[in-house]
Amino acid sequence: MANEGYLLSVVTFLPLLGSLGLLALRGDDHTWIRRLALATALANFVLSLLLLHGFAAGTPGYQLEELRPWIHWPPINYHLGVDGLSLWLVILTTFLTPIAILCSWESIGHRVKEFFLMLLVLETGMIGVFLSLDLILFFVFWEVMLVPMYFLIGIWGHERRIYAAIKFVLYTMAGSVLMLVAILWLFGLSGASVPGGTFDLPTIQVLLQNGKLQLPHTTELLLFGAFFLAFAIKVPLFPLHTWLPDAHVEAPTAGSVILAGVLLKMGTYGLLRFCLPLFPAASKELAPWVAVLAMIGIVYGALVSMVQPDLKKLIAYSSVSHLGFVVLGIFSFHPVAIQGAIYQMLNHGISTGALFLIAGMLYDRRHTHLIKEFGGLATPMPALSAFFLFVCLSSLGLPMLNGFVGEFLILLGTYQVNKLWATFGALGVILAAVYLLWAYQRVAFGEVTVEKNRVLPDCSPRERLILWPLCVMILWMGIGSPVFLSRTETASQQVIEQMKRPQMPALAGTRGAVPQLRDAPAGAESATAVQQGAGPK
Amino acid sequence: MTDSYLNQYVPLLVHMIVAAGLSAILILLSTFVGNRRPTRAKMQAYECGMRPTGDAREPFSVKFYLVAMLFILFDVEAIFFYPWAYVFRDLQVFGFVEMMVYIGILLVGYLYLWKKGALDWNR
Amino acid sequence: MFPPIQDIYRIAPELVACLFGMLIMVADPFVPRERKGAMGRLGLAGALGALVAVELMSRHAGAAMNGLLVVDSFSVFLHMIIYGAASLVVLASYDYLERENLQQGEFYALLFFATCGMGIMASATELMTVFVGLEISSIASYILACYRRAALKSHESAMKYFLLGSFATAFFLYGVAMVYGATGTTSLVAIRAAAAHATDHHMLLTLGFGMLFVGMAFKIAAAPFQVWTPDVYEGAPTPVTALLASGPKAAAFAVLLRIVFTAFGDASSTWFWIVWISAALTMVVGNFAAVAQSNVKRMLAYSSIAHAGYLLVAVAAAGAAGEESAAGIAAVLFYLVAYALMKVGAFTIVSHLGGSGEQRLEIDDYAGLSTRQPTTAACLALYLLSLLGLPLTAGFLGKVYIFQAALDAKLIWLVVIMAVTTVVGAFYYLRVIWVMYFREAQQDWTPAPVAPGVAAVMFLTAAGILALFFFPGPLMTFAAHSALSLR
Repeated sequence: MANEGYLLSVVTFLPLLGSLGLLALRGDDHTWIRRLALATALANFVLSLLLLHGFAAGTPGYQLEELRPWIHWPPINYHLGVDGLSLWLVILTTFLTPIAILCSWESIGHRVKEFFLMLLVLETGMIGVFLSLDLILFFVFWEVMLVPMYFLIGIWGHERRIYAAIKFVLYTMAGSVLMLVAILWLFGLSGASVPGGTFDLPTIQVLLQNGKLQLPHTTELLLFGAFFLAFAIKVPLFPLHTWLPDAHVEAPTAGSVILAGVLLKMGTYGLLRFCLPLFPAASKELAPWVAVLAMIGIVYGALVSMVQPDLKKLIAYSSVSHLGFVVLGIFSFHPVAIQGAIYQMLNHGISTGALFLIAGMLYDRRHTHLIKEFGGLATPMPALSAFFLFVCLSSLGLPMLNGFVGEFLILLGTYQVNKLWATFGALGVILAAVYLLWAYQRVAFGEVTVEKNRVLPDCSPRERLILWPLCVMILWMGIGSPVFLSRTETASQQVIEQMKRPQMPALAGTRGAVPQLRDAPAGAESATAVQQGAGPK
Repeated sequence: MTDSYLNQYVPLLVHMIVAAGLSAILILLSTFVGNRRPTRAKMQAYECGMRPTGDAREPFSVKFYLVAMLFILFDVEAIFFYPWAYVFRDLQVFGFVEMMVYIGILLVGYLYLWKKGALDWNR
Repeated sequence: MFPPIQDIYRIAPELVACLFGMLIMVADPFVPRERKGAMGRLGLAGALGALVAVELMSRHAGAAMNGLLVVDSFSVFLHMIIYGAASLVVLASYDYLERENLQQGEFYALLFFATCGMGIMASATELMTVFVGLEISSIASYILACYRRAALKSHESAMKYFLLGSFATAFFLYGVAMVYGATGTTSLVAIRAAAAHATDHHMLLTLGFGMLFVGMAFKIAAAPFQVWTPDVYEGAPTPVTALLASGPKAAAFAVLLRIVFTAFGDASSTWFWIVWISAALTMVVGNFAAVAQSNVKRMLAYSSIAHAGYLLVAVAAAGAAGEESAAGIAAVLFYLVAYALMKVGAFTIVSHLGGSGEQRLEIDDYAGLSTRQPTTAACLALYLLSLLGLPLTAGFLGKVYIFQAALDAKLIWLVVIMAVTTVVGAFYYLRVIWVMYFREAQQDWTPAPVAPGVAAVMFLTAAGILALFFFPGPLMTFAAHSALSLR
């Protein structure tokens, strides 16, 4: 059971292989560089769809696992696995990468080879983060991702790109170094119950759940703090969000799309994968504080968005608001809300990705992000404006579109836990409608105020090719949500399940709304197999 | 001071304190108490009664230093022969071989100096 | 009276280094000027010969020369680092000497003598032997620092190194005297045995250790004895800087580890706090001072101070772990290898980019390097990322091992300081990268084509850094084994 094929490895490393292929091409052969990059990304997307085929919905625990010994001491294994939580995030990544490549088709003119190389390396890093089940392996991918993103912002960004790139790296590193310390600390603690200790996430999870490994209260708080800080910076949670607007505004369109679409999800993914299951007592104890930060983030992000003169910054701040919403859902510890949070992560990836794409298309035409430079664009470019409206509506949660499902689930779950939280969440939804529609009105409606805008071309075929899939997904996720939710359902219940500890059996019942608890701890099977597979140390 | 070993050195410490204190007192006393009336003649460098001429800091040719340095090097190394000669009988063949190695190393250095022209005064 | 033949094998690397040193020295005046390239080939042969001799040495474990030296896996490990680094420096300096029009013969001869001294330090088990090795390596290094005689900076560097170095050596010698006074011996093993009984000499012994530590802290550039480092590293010819940053540091750490774990192994309380404070200070001083540098060599010098701090964290961890010290020592050893690779590689590239007369040493001079010489820029970026400790590089695993050892020893504060200062490190390492990649190239400058020797060093170090990340197993096993031999 330890090794179930190579699919995950292939999906993870195919982009890296493609980037090596790029190295072999001549630097000025832009056409083939673009084609090879796109082909790799598309092939990887198709391969990642095979995950759906191999993935058994409704089965708890990790699937398609791969486990190979890597470093003998300390015992670091190459351990990949996918579950309902990571499944869609991986597909989101492989879905957005070809789009990011397409949108940079013409806008990236210099150092083309390096650009697509970085993009593909970044994809490997992102998929690796979602699939790693070994803490060190996870950290390796987490840090590796930093480097290509640093270059993407730093080389191909706008005026203040260097400042933004450095700020991005320093923020992320500050969090991640402490996370590394926490990982090693956890490893040391696990040495008490596993000879030599282990970095294997499922094994540690099982040890925690069956009480063989018990974390003292203070230790748990500190470990939680270290992990949480790293993820909160990535999310980004108020007040750690200040790197985000800079990074977004300065990054090239593809960078923004990936940043908003996937990188931010790593923070929330980390919260769900590590913080809650590993440190439930600390999570519960600190949940009110986290929720306060999330609520401040929702309202603050929305208010700042409202007054932004810069379209890209507006979208960036809307991310702060939307992800605050996701964090709120996660920290309500209600399966429905967590389900919604996972769904909202995907929604945000697609909707905000699309918003950034449209902002990028406008930028390609006018070389500005200032809203006042636009106005009345619906006249010269009706198609692009229609796309823009559709995406805005999705982002603000119009029923029938994807945003509604996620937000509704989060509100539904959160309401049963804390009515005040749900109220703030709802406020965020209302404010989202305000700033998005207002921004849309200023951009698309009214008279054409700037003469140059009269002659702007409408969507090119390439741009339609980029936006159509996104819009189809938006609609599909709005009306066909069971397709997605059926596969994430077990994962969200599993998170709640994993938070149970033997010495505190009452906790699972306190929320009073945990349905269908399974008898065996979820993930136990696979994890014990892993333990045996890892062999004696 | 509890350390018994260091206790042996207490007299030395006392000696040093006394020496330093005495000299400090002498210098300070003469500085503060002494009468000074500097004249031009008094401020001149003392050259056994002769009238001083020129600057005392005249540059020497660097060759002198080189020769002096080489002399010291080889001189010090030659001194090692004395103790060796004293115990030569006890050391026997081993001592001989060791000294040959030593001389060999010296010779390498000598050869190097020679070829580099360090011994050539007119170079 | 004759030493057994095994004793000769046990000092084989030193013998080879000395012989080649002398050979080159003597042969140099006989070789006509236009054929001086032969010196470089001879130097390379010597370096490789010494590496072979290390292999020979490793097969003859045991004490040598009446217990002055010992060959155990610890000394073999360090010989590997020292002679490996020296070989890389030989490769790197080949073209440097030609470009700067410097005497070739003496350079290699002095390099071999310095290396020989470091080798003696690595296997010495007796304080006076350590001192002899220290002096052999130091004196040769002083001259090497001054090797660019035309440059005033080189003089300044050598003068500072010489004065402060002699001062530190004097401290070391004074420490030896005190330890001898307290225990009546200079053999490390005997000191340990004597220290167990001589409880009334505790103060003298502590003072003695303090003095020894000052001497070693100077060599490894640990605060507060790090002041010389930037000036010396900046002024010395860059290949020499590469050697200074890797070889003597490894040798001094070997001595430090032997002193603290063999001689003072039972008395870690005497030295633990000294090392702790020095480690914390070194990390803070090194990292924060590096931020303000605009000269690449100075920046790397401060980064080398910072790394001495990281290494001291592992030493402190090994000390605090009591019987379980092996993990910390192994972390030091692993990190030393990674560190030597990164520093030799980085300084080699700095030497290559410096151009004739080492004119281009400012970080801003590297603007647009990524378009002019992509491979060079990529290699330098790799070294810098490894120094920073990002994954896919040996530096990452090195940091993991140190964190690991320190956490096991419950040195939480030291770990926190190390983590925070590492993030500070991101700032100055990344600055070089952004200058190379994000800035436009200056029009009036094209770097010289990469010389074969430099290319070889770049390839070997970069491959080593990556290989140590993906396959650290063998080296780590060796390091752990070596760590055990210290007890």
